[in-house]
Amino acid sequence: MNNVPSTAASDPLTLLLGVNLRQSWRRLLSLRRQSRLLTAVIACFLAGYAALAFTLFYKGLKFAGTFPGLGAVLIERMLFLLFAFLFALLLLSNAIISYTALFRNRETEFLLPLPVAPQTVFRWKFVESTVLASWAFLFLVAPLLAAYGLTQRVSWHFYPMTVALIALFIVLPAAAGSYASILLARFMDRRSFQAGALLVTLAMVLLAAFWLKPAPVPDDQLETRVLVVLDRLLGKTRFAQFPLLPSYWLSAGVQQWAEGAVGAAVFFALVLLSHVLFFGTLALTRTGAAFYNAVSITQGRGSILRRWNWFRAWRKRRRTITHRRGWIERMADAIPSIRADRRALVLKDIRVFLRDTTQWGQTVMLFGLLAVYILNLRHFGAQLNNPFWTQVVSYLNLGACALNLATVTTRFVYPQFSLEGKRVWIVGLAPLGLRRVLLTKLAMSIALSLVVTVGLMMLSSHMLKLGADRVIDLSLSVVVMTFALNALAVGLGALYPNFKEDNPTRIVSGFGGTLCLVLSFLYIVASVLLLAGGSSWGRTGQVDWHLVVGGRAAFLILSFGAGFVPVRLGLRRLTNIEF
Amino acid sequence: MIELIHVVKKFGDLIAVNDLSLRIQHGEFFALLGPNAAGKTTTVKLVAGLMKPTSGSVRLAGYDLLAHPLEARRLLAYVPDFPFLYDKLTPWEFFRFIGQLFLMDNARIERAAEELSARFNLEPYLGQTIDALSHGTRQRVAVVSALLHDPAVFVLDEPMVGIDPHHTRVLKDMLKERARAGTTVLVSTHQLSVAEEMADRIGIMHEGRLIAVGTRDELRRQSGTAGALEQTFLALTVQDSRTREERCAPVDARAH
Repeated sequence: MNNVPSTAASDPLTLLLGVNLRQSWRRLLSLRRQSRLLTAVIACFLAGYAALAFTLFYKGLKFAGTFPGLGAVLIERMLFLLFAFLFALLLLSNAIISYTALFRNRETEFLLPLPVAPQTVFRWKFVESTVLASWAFLFLVAPLLAAYGLTQRVSWHFYPMTVALIALFIVLPAAAGSYASILLARFMDRRSFQAGALLVTLAMVLLAAFWLKPAPVPDDQLETRVLVVLDRLLGKTRFAQFPLLPSYWLSAGVQQWAEGAVGAAVFFALVLLSHVLFFGTLALTRTGAAFYNAVSITQGRGSILRRWNWFRAWRKRRRTITHRRGWIERMADAIPSIRADRRALVLKDIRVFLRDTTQWGQTVMLFGLLAVYILNLRHFGAQLNNPFWTQVVSYLNLGACALNLATVTTRFVYPQFSLEGKRVWIVGLAPLGLRRVLLTKLAMSIALSLVVTVGLMMLSSHMLKLGADRVIDLSLSVVVMTFALNALAVGLGALYPNFKEDNPTRIVSGFGGTLCLVLSFLYIVASVLLLAGGSSWGRTGQVDWHLVVGGRAAFLILSFGAGFVPVRLGLRRLTNIEF
Repeated sequence: MIELIHVVKKFGDLIAVNDLSLRIQHGEFFALLGPNAAGKTTTVKLVAGLMKPTSGSVRLAGYDLLAHPLEARRLLAYVPDFPFLYDKLTPWEFFRFIGQLFLMDNARIERAAEELSARFNLEPYLGQTIDALSHGTRQRVAVVSALLHDPAVFVLDEPMVGIDPHHTRVLKDMLKERARAGTTVLVSTHQLSVAEEMADRIGIMHEGRLIAVGTRDELRRQSGTAGALEQTFLALTVQDSRTREERCAPVDARAH
């Protein structure tokens, strides 16, 4: 009965790696079962991105290098800055992905009752989350480093050395992220921890706002304005060269190797290696018990706010049955001429969204980034006094707003239909019918998006101090794009439903979600080019109306096609859907 | 053998399992019953080592789950109500993976997998990836993978959900055989018929406490009812609710 090991089997980590690699490979192969054309579109998009990024980095670095006496300093500082920011982003993404992989993952729950030590489970999840959190970083820096190598005319050995340095570098944020996720899981329900985290975040925001506050250039310095601004820029970005930052070791190692200072480069490589060995060994050998303890706590924890009296009182109130309608319901009632069944569907979707912490968290993060973008525009507007650049910046702003909208539609609107999940029969068998369900979801997402996009466009245009005609033109354009991008997301969501998955992030990361992101991106690029191409570019009295009307007409046709076709195909798919 | 010694599990203010002491013998089939939110699944998770008790200890075949987790888990098989399976593996690959985690050699894995697959009529599905299988078939795959290493302790949470009557019968027979051969079986279920038909002893949980434990006849005597287990179960849980209400009533009255 008792199992005595009868043979030397593979160790559990190797088995787990093997099983998951096989799974990933089969998922990749299953893509072939989807349309080959669509797979080719995604592959071309990825290759196109890499080529475009390489070209832009190459030209940018070449251009920066032409500044006499300053080129090398600027390039050096840009690399330090870029890697410092990417390090911060890697820390954040590693912490989030580690938390999900370690504490909100069914595989972890499956492995723990098996004879696999918690340390081994942690090791596997560490590898998994490092790969998931770092692939985008690699995808981003590869074209940059290739372009940097070419502009610096480095020897061939620069490239393998850089790969080795980056491989070492990504381990450090991964280790820090996994420790952070364990700490978070262990202590996040403590009031002191929550208050401390809030205070630290506030302090960091205030510090960043104070540090990045722009100072006006005095009149007596106008002639040397470029030098003054540059000097300030270098002063404010010096933090990226703090010698204890791992990003500093990576940037310094890469740059020293490119310059032929092999000794110094090897020194930084060894600094990285020693830290990777120390923190990597700690993570891979001494974290199992803390991880198991944290898993047990998260499995048996109620709400993370349960220690606050106000929360307990609020929950107690909720336990008392009342027939009063909530504020969401009262707001939905205020919408004129909406049928009761559609109102019920809208209410259900809003409630589900508002009660899902993951959805909330990501929305807050997205809008936080948006707020930073808008706040920065206010400094930019004061410097726009050339009509050409005003046009360029206004269209770039349109593109930025539309890209933000595409992130929202892909992340939140696309999975809406799939999120009906195993419950799809509830709405599918109701007299409402799936066709109306889809159209109601489309109407709701357009209505909510319009509030954000039009508001965003008007606010950003105001910050850029654009004229009323430009504001109206750009606002109308973004309205059309809102319709098209939402229709694209809803249509593709119905065309490629995934009712097996409850996690919206996983639904989005599938084939249909990736396609939605790629098509949204291509649509935005084409739209902005068409609108900008058909613009007067500030030439007063020389407006080519053929160009203006042609550009707008092409934009409208493109938008109609991008929105109508997926919705039509999605609705047709619904007639054959089985649930 | 499963031993729970003064086990308490708290979720914040809620006591999900309240001072539970229970000993399930070697070769015994034990059914854990109780209304919703009684603490059955938490108890099962504590026995499976998915949660650490707030206080008290859990032992499997003499091994304390916290002090000797790996030794205990080598003897354990656990099938939750919605088991996790690797979607892109075939059942055969999944069996081999599980067998290797339990340090079984390939010949033994193949022998056990063939025998159990035949018993649960899984042969036609062994080459398909798991994501193509129905819920019931996946449940059968989970049961077979759990039984591969011939566990000394078998813990199941609502094992019959989604399985058709024919395979429910196969599973019941299999569990009975295993228990006769010395495996300790702990089943948490709402299906009173499973407990009535198969269990050597039945435990009834209510609001985190084990309010009754014994054979069917012992429970009938304790509840003062005769007839089906359903009546015994209802009588015991209602009786417990009343006792608790009575105990709380003077306190409430004072509070008001």
